[in-house]
Amino acid sequence: MLLDDWSLTLAGWTLLIATVTSVACALCGSILFIGRKSMVSEGLSHAVLPGLVIAFAYTRDYSSPSLIMAAAFSGLLMVWLTQLIERSGLVDNDAGLGIVFAAMFSVGILIVNAKLKSTHFHADCIIDGNLALAPLERLVVGNRDFGPEAFVVMVIVLAIVAIFLGLAYKELKLGIFDPVLAQQFGLRPTLVQFVWLGIVSITTVAAFEVAGSILIVALMIAPPAAAYLLTDRLSRLLFFASIIAIASSFLGYYLARAIDISPTGPISSMAGLLFLLTLCFAPRKGLLAAWTQQRSDRSQTNRLLVLHSIERNGRVPKDQFNIADNRIERYITQLCDSGLIRREASQQLKITDAGRSALREVFDRQA
Amino acid sequence: MSELLSDYTVRIVVMGSAMIGGVSGALGCFAYLRRQSLIGDVVAHSSLLGIVMAFWLSYVITGNGNKSLIVLIPGAILAGLASLLLTRAITSQTKIKEDAGLGVMLAIFFGTGMMLLRWLQRKQPPIPGRSGLDDYIFGMAAAMTSNDLWMIGTLGTLSVIVVILIWPRLKVMTFDPQYAAGLGLPVGSLELVLLCLMVVGIVIGIQIAGVVLMISLLVAPAAAARQWTHHFGRMIILASVIGGVCAAGGSLISAVGSNLPTGPVIVVLITIAVVASLLFAPGRGIVFRRLRSAS
Repeated sequence: MLLDDWSLTLAGWTLLIATVTSVACALCGSILFIGRKSMVSEGLSHAVLPGLVIAFAYTRDYSSPSLIMAAAFSGLLMVWLTQLIERSGLVDNDAGLGIVFAAMFSVGILIVNAKLKSTHFHADCIIDGNLALAPLERLVVGNRDFGPEAFVVMVIVLAIVAIFLGLAYKELKLGIFDPVLAQQFGLRPTLVQFVWLGIVSITTVAAFEVAGSILIVALMIAPPAAAYLLTDRLSRLLFFASIIAIASSFLGYYLARAIDISPTGPISSMAGLLFLLTLCFAPRKGLLAAWTQQRSDRSQTNRLLVLHSIERNGRVPKDQFNIADNRIERYITQLCDSGLIRREASQQLKITDAGRSALREVFDRQA
Repeated sequence: MSELLSDYTVRIVVMGSAMIGGVSGALGCFAYLRRQSLIGDVVAHSSLLGIVMAFWLSYVITGNGNKSLIVLIPGAILAGLASLLLTRAITSQTKIKEDAGLGVMLAIFFGTGMMLLRWLQRKQPPIPGRSGLDDYIFGMAAAMTSNDLWMIGTLGTLSVIVVILIWPRLKVMTFDPQYAAGLGLPVGSLELVLLCLMVVGIVIGIQIAGVVLMISLLVAPAAAARQWTHHFGRMIILASVIGGVCAAGGSLISAVGSNLPTGPVIVVLITIAVVASLLFAPGRGIVFRRLRSAS
């Protein structure tokens, strides 16, 4: 039977769970990113805690679906409270989010410390998650082993996210970029946004149990931000973000194994590192690309200045352009090489016809 | 209760917390009014990396892990400032918006900080003095010593002196940076001063609130105080009082109860203060508005 053959090693399962979690987080995070709501994930990753622990205190069952529902509800509660505060106009928006999620997280921590100290909800797990141990708790229904529970849950969550993205892709896109227009099309952007935040909330909870709060924020924000430096299209953004998130998980996992610690910190650190690398080396929007572009623009302008003054005066006056002498020499050589000027026998510089027409072209374009 | 207060350790902890809460609450007003609350959250998380690095460096240099604030605070300040300046660089050089830039800093600084922390905690042979380092995550006022109190007091006094010395400029800069530039004030350096003040407010506060919940100790007193007054000076004083009282109360409760980390208790108290202010503040409060619209 197929299911019996799912005897991957512990490492294999951990990586598989990490991969599914990464993709789910990256997809949710990409939509938050383009809606400029990235920090909402920071809020959600803390605000789900009270729902989670209250539900657990009642059911005493880690795998009860009511845990996920209660926690997702407490995430939505945070969104609602934040909006309530924002609408009252009494507190600045940013601060509202911060105050609400910190308060909810505190309540969660206090309940854990008062009632659930001996369970796996202790403070370290809330921050670090339990990724390394996640493969050990298996979902067994009757006699059938469906593989690690965390994996099954994350696959279901990923499916929900993917299906909703597929169904509501246009609505989400339009709702984010132009809520008014979406309204006029009869798309009900508010409802779509609300359902979407509910799904993000569910993803956060499910990921929270495996990955802890740091990792969720890291996977939801860093990969989409990096992907954004690589493309302008939403569909590609989703794809690149997922790839970068998976890469961070793998790199982080092996780094964690090498120094024998929980993989959560390393994965998040790797997500950050991959962002920094993309920031430096992205083809068009990267810092290096921007810098080379700027340099080549500048030398192009300088060459034109030199060419112009040769046309006018037959020489380049010293100290006029604020360009170093050796640079001017280099520009002159380059202009000679490309045949825009020529050196007469008396070392006099003369502009050629090609040079004239090149200058005209630039001036005409300016005019 | 009075018996408890006469206990030397408890007295230090309560006094220290009041001082910390007061300074953080006051300095948080600038962050709050400049709409930099989430920046504060990220700086707080980022400072964990600085703290862990400073501890590790002290171990590498002296062979003994040093957890006194004189060692840890400079590290925290450096890491906090670094994350701020990096966010600035990213948002100015690319089209990435501030909230995503901040989130990325969270991944880099907090993620790496946690990684280093866990590594130091598991390192064999054990590093002397490493236990209690993770108290910085949720805050533990009980670990405070009188030396720490001096360090915090000095930093707090210094920042109060700075605020008083350049008060008019800070005020203009907080409310209207463009106007400040128009007046010919040194906007760049004032901006840096304000950022440093925020970082100091945060770094002082994480001792009791922890890096995760520090945002609340920083901006919630300001948000509460804002409801009661329109006057900036009074707002700062009120925020400082609210922060101080809640912090002292929180660490007292945490010291009495068993197993209660200080940070969450303080945050719950401050949040109660915020909710009460939102509801009952005269003029702005929700109850007041209801009454007025009913009459």
